Amino acid sequence: MGMVAELERRQSAMELHIINSIQQSLDNNQPLSFQALASLRSLIINPATPDSTLSSVLDALSRSLQLNRDPVFLHHALKLLSDLASHRPHLSPFALDLLRSDSLFSSASPRLVGESLSVLLSLASIGNDIDAARFVSLCLGPSVSVRQCLLRNAEKLVFRESVLLAVFLGFTRDPYPYVRKEALDGLVKLCKNGDFDDRDVIEGCYCRAVELLRDAENYVRSAAVRAVCEWGRLLVICSEDMNKQDSSDAVFIQLGCMVRDMSVDVRLEAFEALGKIGLVSEDILLQTLSKKVLGINKDKAFKPVEGLDISASAVAGAYIHGLEDEFSEVRMSACYSLRTLTVFSLRFACEALNLMMDMLNDDSTVVRLQALDTIHHMATSNHLKVEKIHIHRFLSALVDSSSVIRSMTRKILKLAKLPQFKLFKLCIDGLLGNLEIYPQDEADVFSALFHIGRNHGKFTVHIIEEVSPEMEPASGGKLSFDSTRVAAFLVLAISAPLSHEKDVSAIPPRIFSYAVTWLGRISYGLSDLMNQEKLLAYLSECSRSSTISLADFKINEALLTVESDAPIPLCSKVDSPVSMPFWKDSGGTSDYHHQEFLSLGKSAAHAEYELGEHSELRKYVNLIFKKVKDFWSLVELGCTTEAFKGIRACKEEVASFTADSPGSSGAVAFTLQYLQVIGMLAKVWGHLRPTKMLNPYGVGKLELLFAKLDRRLREISNRFIGLFKGEELQILDLVLVACLLRLSKMEICCCNAAMKLLLSTVAHVEYLHEGSIELSNFVTEVKKSLHDADSSSSSSTCKPLLFKKLLDSFSLQQFVLYGTPRYIHAELAVPSNDSENPLPFIPGIPASIPLAITLHNVLTESRLWVRISMNEESTQFVFLDLNLIRNEKRSINVVREFTFVAPFYRTPKAISFTVRASLGLECFRENIDQVKVFGGPKCELTYLCPEKEIFLCKSTEC
Amino acid sequence: MAIDCLVLGAGQEVGKSCMVVSINGKRIMFDCGMHMGYTDSRRYPDFSLISKTGDFDNALTCVIVTHFHLDHIGALPYFTEVCGYKGPIYMTYPTKALAPLMLEDYRKNMDRRGEDEQFTSDHIAECMKKVIPVNLKQTVQVDKDLQIRAYYAGHVIGAAMFYAKVGDAAMVYTGDYNMTPDRHLGAAQIDRLQLDLLITESTYATTIRDSRYGREREFLKAVHNCVAAGGKVLIPTFALGRAQELCILLEDYWERMNLKVPIYFSAGLTIQANMYYKMLINWTSQKIKETYATHNAFDFKNVRNFDRSLINAPGPCVLFATPGMIVGGFSLKVFMQWAPSENNLVTLPGYCVAGTIGHKLMSGKLTKIDLDKDTQINVRCQIHQLSFSPHTDAKGIMDLVKFLSPKHAILVHGEKPKMATLKERIQSELGIQCYCPANNETVTIPSTHYVKADASGTFIRSCLNPNFKFSTCSSTDKSYLDSNKSKAVSRLSVSDDRATEGILVVEKGKKAKVIHQDEFLHMLGEKKHEIQFAYCFPMHMARTEDLSSTSHMLCSFDKCTLISRLSMILSDELSEGNILDLGEELQVESFRVSVCSSDNCPHRLSSSLQNGSESVFFCCHWSVADEKLAWKIISIMKNSTL
Repeated sequence: MGMVAELERRQSAMELHIINSIQQSLDNNQPLSFQALASLRSLIINPATPDSTLSSVLDALSRSLQLNRDPVFLHHALKLLSDLASHRPHLSPFALDLLRSDSLFSSASPRLVGESLSVLLSLASIGNDIDAARFVSLCLGPSVSVRQCLLRNAEKLVFRESVLLAVFLGFTRDPYPYVRKEALDGLVKLCKNGDFDDRDVIEGCYCRAVELLRDAENYVRSAAVRAVCEWGRLLVICSEDMNKQDSSDAVFIQLGCMVRDMSVDVRLEAFEALGKIGLVSEDILLQTLSKKVLGINKDKAFKPVEGLDISASAVAGAYIHGLEDEFSEVRMSACYSLRTLTVFSLRFACEALNLMMDMLNDDSTVVRLQALDTIHHMATSNHLKVEKIHIHRFLSALVDSSSVIRSMTRKILKLAKLPQFKLFKLCIDGLLGNLEIYPQDEADVFSALFHIGRNHGKFTVHIIEEVSPEMEPASGGKLSFDSTRVAAFLVLAISAPLSHEKDVSAIPPRIFSYAVTWLGRISYGLSDLMNQEKLLAYLSECSRSSTISLADFKINEALLTVESDAPIPLCSKVDSPVSMPFWKDSGGTSDYHHQEFLSLGKSAAHAEYELGEHSELRKYVNLIFKKVKDFWSLVELGCTTEAFKGIRACKEEVASFTADSPGSSGAVAFTLQYLQVIGMLAKVWGHLRPTKMLNPYGVGKLELLFAKLDRRLREISNRFIGLFKGEELQILDLVLVACLLRLSKMEICCCNAAMKLLLSTVAHVEYLHEGSIELSNFVTEVKKSLHDADSSSSSSTCKPLLFKKLLDSFSLQQFVLYGTPRYIHAELAVPSNDSENPLPFIPGIPASIPLAITLHNVLTESRLWVRISMNEESTQFVFLDLNLIRNEKRSINVVREFTFVAPFYRTPKAISFTVRASLGLECFRENIDQVKVFGGPKCELTYLCPEKEIFLCKSTEC
Repeated sequence: MAIDCLVLGAGQEVGKSCMVVSINGKRIMFDCGMHMGYTDSRRYPDFSLISKTGDFDNALTCVIVTHFHLDHIGALPYFTEVCGYKGPIYMTYPTKALAPLMLEDYRKNMDRRGEDEQFTSDHIAECMKKVIPVNLKQTVQVDKDLQIRAYYAGHVIGAAMFYAKVGDAAMVYTGDYNMTPDRHLGAAQIDRLQLDLLITESTYATTIRDSRYGREREFLKAVHNCVAAGGKVLIPTFALGRAQELCILLEDYWERMNLKVPIYFSAGLTIQANMYYKMLINWTSQKIKETYATHNAFDFKNVRNFDRSLINAPGPCVLFATPGMIVGGFSLKVFMQWAPSENNLVTLPGYCVAGTIGHKLMSGKLTKIDLDKDTQINVRCQIHQLSFSPHTDAKGIMDLVKFLSPKHAILVHGEKPKMATLKERIQSELGIQCYCPANNETVTIPSTHYVKADASGTFIRSCLNPNFKFSTCSSTDKSYLDSNKSKAVSRLSVSDDRATEGILVVEKGKKAKVIHQDEFLHMLGEKKHEIQFAYCFPMHMARTEDLSSTSHMLCSFDKCTLISRLSMILSDELSEGNILDLGEELQVESFRVSVCSSDNCPHRLSSSLQNGSESVFFCCHWSVADEKLAWKIISIMKNSTL
């Protein structure tokens, strides 16, 4: 201890000494020596130096700055200040003030200004230090490094777009290439963030960028490619409708010229940019796949901007070059950008497929993988047309030594729909070859076989007939079950009954019993489709009879959840109306996409992006739903607590999902709501269903639980729009369960109301159930028993035992979210109102309450009520007529914001009081029985926002 | 100054590349090849054209050889050892390493055929001693004026394009190059240079080739099908280049497809060449360079040495054997054994010289080949023709020329009619002057010449600061004229005029100097003069009561009225310009107009003195810049009535 104290004492003495000596020299008007500066630095970077010392250091520095203007000294002082600011954040404001002082930041030396600027930038504290005029004058100064630094950080300095535009555009003329590059990058950023609609400006920037495509420096050229891409897209957007296609083609060709650049970076940028230009006409696209100039493009020239004529032949063979580039990055980039373009033209996709098949021979695995990915993308966008010549090359990827390549190939095969038996057989042989060489792939090969089998029921039956001798027991009565090949055929065979095709003739039932002997391995392969018990049940079912009715078998429901449900015609016929609805009547060009593009305009790319985002989110959400189903089985077993824990964890997980993109918030909110409903249901269930524990809750508590459950159910069924029928039906299932639970408990049952709700829900179910959607077992049961009860006796509707029995038939189905539900919600605020600033009122006279309301996704036809309550007794409803609220767009997606002045009639005779206001949506299916409010809503309300407390105070002016 | 190019070989033909370029007083010989088609004096370039006396050392500054193919290097030992050239010779490291192998091989073959020997092994060795090896992108100062630099050319290992610069004149000689990569070599790569001249090969002046993937696919399919059926594959190749490419292709395929069929190399040159390739990794393609650290692509895993006893061993195999085209040697020996079985496959290179077995096989479906009087081979095997080529195609040439954008281009190493087509394309599409001279012709092109000049301080300062200006350049889009609505298209453009603000001043006896335009007058001691145009003319007047017809007695009030009326007329008729009414004067840009009250105005044309009673004279002044505008206004004024 003594040592430490001694050290501390010594140090403080030293500090004092340094400070004193510095003060002294300053008092004598002597500039600080370098030695003094060095000792100051030691003080600054020593974490033990107390703040008081540092303040005096700051003080000394500021004094010396006024004394000394020597640039070398200023440079050191600057360094000290930046150290100080970064080491001691709480002192940084003072240091920054000094930095901004005349001697440094506003000094005449551009180098010092540049340095102080970069310090300020590194401390991220540049605010209004630099105005536009100063920025421009600094940029125009002779120091190149300052210019470069300023241009690079121009965005952070936040100026008006016009200033930035002028500066960036101007400096594209700079003789220093790095400045040109920064200027181009700045233009790109500006283009992305900014909002330009002046065609002159857009053309100007575009032309300048095009000029720089011929710059001598690689990095300037790659920046120019980016700039041409961004400004070109803007150019397309601002073109007149009839010229849009031409402008877009021209920009595409302009970029296509760069794919032969000698610099790898430029080529990479060029391909990336090519993929971004969405709307390109088919002729031009096809030209990129042919080095020879196509006849149709021979004399085609474009003139997007005056003086920038470009001929279609310039883009000849762009992708051919890209795909045989020396650098795998470029090849990958080319594959990737092809992927985005194949969407626009089937013919282009076919030609591109040829190349992609060749790319499967590439020496780089990542390129092969990217090629397969592109093929997969074509398959999912229905633009894959495989011919026999391709199949051979394609199937050779199944024996590729890289496992990812093989698995990707199988993934594509799973989607395949082959028109000929010959091709089908080749695929099966390919998969068998795969299995033979790489036994480790067994699970996935089985899965692929199963999928292919389902997609080609008839072919499967046919092939099984062919190979059935192989699958029969050998002469000795022993099955040759050690052969994986036989197992593979068994997997194929058992897929047939689940085929998507109609009237598939049967597979001999004994095959299914053979398959049972392979249960473990097969179910491992099919784990994404069904679990082992289900498979066993399915197999035994099938092996019993040759005519299988799968209606009562749950496997079909389970299979519905698989993503690759609908097969994609791998060899779609060109004239098939399904695969090419757009091309047929549009004369070969991409009119459909054209129109879509036109209507979406700028946001087209954005929307596409969102879609992708959503499907990703949907996948996660559906995984959650799958988990929930598992938890429900726990509930059924009586382990409510455990299930509850799991559900809570799910809730946390869902809450962590980002809901940045508009639309995804709906899915997240829905999932949370669903989890809450299931949670409540589990609670009630656990209480009511006969389990080990008996009646842990009192009746009152139970009543509360039911009320909560009802509210949750009401919310989930009313606050979401855009759900599919199937999804709605599943929610109705839950409503039915809740009703039945209520009815099964005599003590709390308000029999009539619950029965009414039950009946109306069933009616709604029947109304929804018109099409192909199958009802769950449970609903069918409920319907049946209700019907029976109705016909037998009309009086005794309350039969708890019957309802309890009905509940037995309930099992939670896995919820699958297909669409993107939108969440109806609202925000309610009273501007500048709190207990300190109450609204005035005169007792006995209605008070007006101005409400700032924001509605999200509320349909115009929905009935909204403002509920204002002072206490339980005096609650009043004010109808909010949405038709009267002026709103430009009637689109359902818009967010409506308006102010509504609600009257509050029954003002009490008091000095002050508070009311609670809330917004409710009337739900039509549930009538109010118990509470009749005069003039209020006829049906139950779902509240869209939390209650808002409003303070009122007796007006003093009267 | 001019650049003179003397074509000694490969002018309008393929073979014996040789080009002597005189550039700013330096003479460089690019390539020194021999013609394989001749055995007489036409075999070598006519060196006497370089120097009548045979004093090549003084006639040439240096010799540059692009790659080791005989049509580019074949005459070198002859030139140095027999003709006696002793000056420097430049080539890349791999070329220097591999060239003796090629030359020696050729010499032996010549020997075997009993031709008279042009040079000996010692000659080759001596010649190689004179060679100075260079690396890629290494700038070599040949002497104080001449700089040369090698760029990667693809084609074969070590092939390079050469950039040469003397003073201000710069040129590139490409040699043979390939703009698309193959399995073992990259694509040609060069910087964007300022060139006066580009000399490029034009082997495929009109051909446009498909993607190499198709060729590879066909080859692999043929080989795979053959070995899968238990057949043997014979691949006769040259030792260097194609053998390595095909082998890498097969090796990669074998790896991916997990094939176990053995691949053999016949002993000899191929093995030796592979050894060189292994050392010259830096000259191969990106992929090989990248993976080199973990696996040398030339360390073929599946490749073994072939033992003669294996010729008739059962089971499938793939064999690389020299020489190509099955002219003899080991490949012929194996061919004789394997040809009779239809299970087997023979691949042939894309090009076979007439008279070889390869050529016979290519020309049609044969069943028998008569080797000589006694031996006859039954040919039942499958034949696969390779179409690989290490030369760039027409598109590649165009791409390179476009990328480099030289002032002039010369085509060599190609067939005459095709070269003419390409020449036309280069001239019409790229606007580059192009030539394709025949052998022993000389092409002279002008070269750039720079003048050194001092710069004044003001000019330098003005150059340091950016000085960009924005302007809206207007032009009338003609396409709109059709639809009868003329619309001026304006576009924002930016210019930086630092250089144009300078003025080059060359005074007698002094060094040229660049000064800032503001300094110019001061330097000359002159004042700034501006040219002004003036014109005075009468304008018709409508008779009005308040204006007296005695026009020369107009008071200032009336003048103002007239001017404002004029202003109204102009603003109706004139689309451009900003009309300023300055009371007694009207101004549009630099054009000024006022009522002329003096009867003998010097700007008045005598002929216009006609009927003074109904007109008022207007006097106009304008500067040169606005001449068009001025005449437009005057014509408006003349055609209207006040």
